[in-house]
Amino acid sequence: MEDYKYLFKVVLIGNAGVGKTCLVRRFTQGLFPPGQGATIGVDFMIKTVEIGGEKVKLQIWDTAGQERFRSITQSYYHSADALVLVFDVTSTETFNALPSWLKEVEQYASPKVISVLVGNKIDLASDREVTNEEAETFADTHDMRLLETSAKESDNVDKLFLDIAVELTNNVRNSDIKNSLSEDPIRDHSSVSFCCRT
Amino acid sequence: MPGCCNCLSSCKPRYKRLVDSIFPADPEDGLVRSNMEKLTFYAVSHNEKLDRIGGYLAHRLDRDVYRQRIGYVVISMQALDQLLLACHAQSLNLFVESFLRMVHKLLESNMPELQILGTNSFVKFSQIEEDTPSYHRTYDFFISKFASMCHNNSDHAETRRKIRLAGLKGLQGVVRKTVSDELQVNIWDTTYMDKIVPSFLFNMNEGFDSHESPVHDHPEEKPEVLADSCLRDVMRRAAYANIHTVIKPVLKHLDLHELWVPNNFAIKVFKGIMYSIQSQYRYVTPHFLLLHLDEHMKNTPKIKRSIVEILKEIVAIAADGAVGPSVLEIFNTLLRHLRMSVDERLSGGQASSTDRSASSSKKTKQKFDENEEILFEEAIIDTIGAFANILPDYQKIEIMMFIMGKVPMPRDRSSTVLQEEDHPLSLEPKGEGDILVQDMLLKSLLEVGTKYTTVSMATTFPASFFQPLLNMSVITNPGIRVIVQEILHTLIDRRDNVIKLYANRGIVKNIADLELKCEKASRQDIMFMRKHGAEFQWHIFENLIRVKNTTKNFVAIYCTMALLCVELGTDDILVDLVKLALALQDHACDPNCKMPLTHLYAIHSIVAQYLNLIGQLTAIPSLCQHISQVIEERRKSAPYLLPPISVEDKVPATSPRGVAPDLLFHVDSISEALASSGHDVTRLSLPYIHVQEPQNVDTRPRSLTDVGSINVDFELLHSSPTAGRKRPPEEVTFESLKQVLISGINDSSAEDERQKRLDVLHSFQNSTLDELAAAADTRNEKWQQKLNDILDTVTKSPQTPAGSPTRPDPSTPLQFQSIPTYEMKFPELCVY
Repeated sequence: MEDYKYLFKVVLIGNAGVGKTCLVRRFTQGLFPPGQGATIGVDFMIKTVEIGGEKVKLQIWDTAGQERFRSITQSYYHSADALVLVFDVTSTETFNALPSWLKEVEQYASPKVISVLVGNKIDLASDREVTNEEAETFADTHDMRLLETSAKESDNVDKLFLDIAVELTNNVRNSDIKNSLSEDPIRDHSSVSFCCRT
Repeated sequence: MPGCCNCLSSCKPRYKRLVDSIFPADPEDGLVRSNMEKLTFYAVSHNEKLDRIGGYLAHRLDRDVYRQRIGYVVISMQALDQLLLACHAQSLNLFVESFLRMVHKLLESNMPELQILGTNSFVKFSQIEEDTPSYHRTYDFFISKFASMCHNNSDHAETRRKIRLAGLKGLQGVVRKTVSDELQVNIWDTTYMDKIVPSFLFNMNEGFDSHESPVHDHPEEKPEVLADSCLRDVMRRAAYANIHTVIKPVLKHLDLHELWVPNNFAIKVFKGIMYSIQSQYRYVTPHFLLLHLDEHMKNTPKIKRSIVEILKEIVAIAADGAVGPSVLEIFNTLLRHLRMSVDERLSGGQASSTDRSASSSKKTKQKFDENEEILFEEAIIDTIGAFANILPDYQKIEIMMFIMGKVPMPRDRSSTVLQEEDHPLSLEPKGEGDILVQDMLLKSLLEVGTKYTTVSMATTFPASFFQPLLNMSVITNPGIRVIVQEILHTLIDRRDNVIKLYANRGIVKNIADLELKCEKASRQDIMFMRKHGAEFQWHIFENLIRVKNTTKNFVAIYCTMALLCVELGTDDILVDLVKLALALQDHACDPNCKMPLTHLYAIHSIVAQYLNLIGQLTAIPSLCQHISQVIEERRKSAPYLLPPISVEDKVPATSPRGVAPDLLFHVDSISEALASSGHDVTRLSLPYIHVQEPQNVDTRPRSLTDVGSINVDFELLHSSPTAGRKRPPEEVTFESLKQVLISGINDSSAEDERQKRLDVLHSFQNSTLDELAAAADTRNEKWQQKLNDILDTVTKSPQTPAGSPTRPDPSTPLQFQSIPTYEMKFPELCVY
């Protein structure tokens, strides 16, 4: 009867206009909405993927980047399994805002949360202000994975969410192992497939 | 099993066939009603099958949602709703699980119709009162999703409205469902309230901004209206421990959305909260706002002013419940902000910008706006008044004393005289600040005072409040002195006479026109005046002869005098007041008086006006006659000696300084008139001697002001017996006997010592240093002895907070009570 085995909550955060909603839309609906307006409050999307033969449902909460919605968006960090911290590689400002975002994460999110750093808009290579090295260094110092994406070109978008799903699934399984039979952790994406429309 | 024989037509169990039968072949046809009735009947009669029916329906729904067969989805939900309403049995519990799963499924969908459908079902479910506890049910997702729906930003306005409405209803449903059941999730947890409250506020504000939104037939269909009632609903259910989880998100939301300025919306929100919060907790809201004000300490005065104004608005709603247990804390906070604002204003916005962190320096770079600070201060004062208004009277006195205690006092009396003389040394760096702070605090005090209704003078003016207040009444700044007088007005006045008296008008021919309300003063009040009348008089006198007085000062002081007369003017007190008036006249006629002509005329005017009032109030014919005669004379030949008072106008240079005797009030005529009506006039024959600080010592450096104050001591010691001995002779009490004994001793010794002090001072001022040094050795011993005498007497006397001469009633030893006296470095000063 259950249509999924695991349910994970993924919350996207980052400054306004870095492309959080576009990433979510690209992943869940496969489209890139040009002229996407600013998100108000929190948006919600769902996507079910199959990982290692098991259906994993991702609840994706797409938060508003504007500061005025900070109070409501912060309340969504708490229950997140994974946080996607997005910045815009064509804007140093959004990159510089990352430490304050991390501070918020530390303050509001659960300690077990996985966070992934995402540099979006790599299609705009000519306007690039934040180099890959800078971002990499930042990610390393804060013990995060870095992924550079383009919601427009669909680069790395699926990988981003699927990596998260795989990692979360492995985490859950590893904790399951302790009280049940061991299962091989999933090592690559070959076993991963999309299964559902929303 | 009776069902077995019916199973032939299908292999499916009966409940599945019943469920299947409610779905028509074409979803357009809608629910098959007759079959639905059968299903309902079956479910009601076979409770144990209910969870299976639910499971099967959920399964079908999943499939239909996935295949986007919306028609069937709608039918499934209809069926679910009907079953839910029909079955109130215990087994509903399991059914609910599948029901919630279906709602969940619908809410996950991207289609607005399905989200709304799911919400509506959920709302219906929330209205069902379950009688069995459900331990493992969680609403996390529902709250998150409903809150997200409240922020829906669909391009289509109608869809947006509908989804937002659905979200609000959903949240309301969750609250309703969980709040009453302690076994369920704690809806008051911050993780939930941080989602719920901002969602309400966001919708309230959306509608607040656009009043022109199309009017719907049902106000319930407007998100802002619904959000408002949702918030009130939540507030109504909040217990004490939960209030903060609601109010904190509210404050945070208003911060983040910058809704403090303008504060219309914030006021609306807080009014809503105040009206709906349980009345015994009403004080919590102002408390949180005050805390929030503290957090905004460094913010712009505009925001702070808005917060304070909101406080003022909501305090009235709370009535007596707004203050709670920490009365002083509230006033302390407000006064602290007042003080900080004044400091800020003085330093031109520089005071706090240095210690502000670099991150907020952008904000501080905003141009410092003095006007905003002033408006903020006014708002604080208003709010203090609003708080005071809801306090019981006895607490108002405490608050007034509390505020009085915060007012910076003039250091000692001689320093005020220094300032009066515009002495260069009086330009202290803090001077301006003190005046501003005094100004603000006294305005607050006035605000509290106006809310207070005096019953008895003695309770209104406890010594620790009365004394500093009178001290403030003679400080330099004329503006502040007016405020002090106004405070006195509002506190002395008990029968709304002040508006009738407080005007700069001419002589009133018929006092009845003023419609004053007089009642005989109570015994306690008379006792009070006996005790403190002399102080009152001294301060009034001192006040009137200040050179810096403006017309306002004169009018205000006249009003105080008139109120004293109206409220307390019986028998001997009346005589004292007449005496004061006559003393003022004498002072104004004194050729040595250095006051400008305009001020002298003003004093004459006040005396005339005052005696006219007394005459008419007492209605003693001969008194009235004398007074009106003098006034008539003045009207003919010297109209400048009559009110209205105006010291700002230039007097013609030809105006005479002296006043002809027939233009003056005569003590003999007045005392005769008073005596004729049975007043005891013996004290009238003793002239009122007003003692001012000698000013010849004031040219000394400030560090020596102690010596100056000693001079004052002895002057007072000399004068006090005359001015203070006011008991009618026939009143032979223990007190009066004691007084005779004490004053007998004091008279001689005080006179003696004073003479010696004056001698010494004289020599100090006129001799050379060598002479002094030579003389000092010989006198040293004698001086030491005298000093011991003085210290002995001084230490016996009670002390008053500020170093001012008190004129205690005759029964207490007549000493000057000044703290610095103890610390005098007398021997050194005397040697050199």
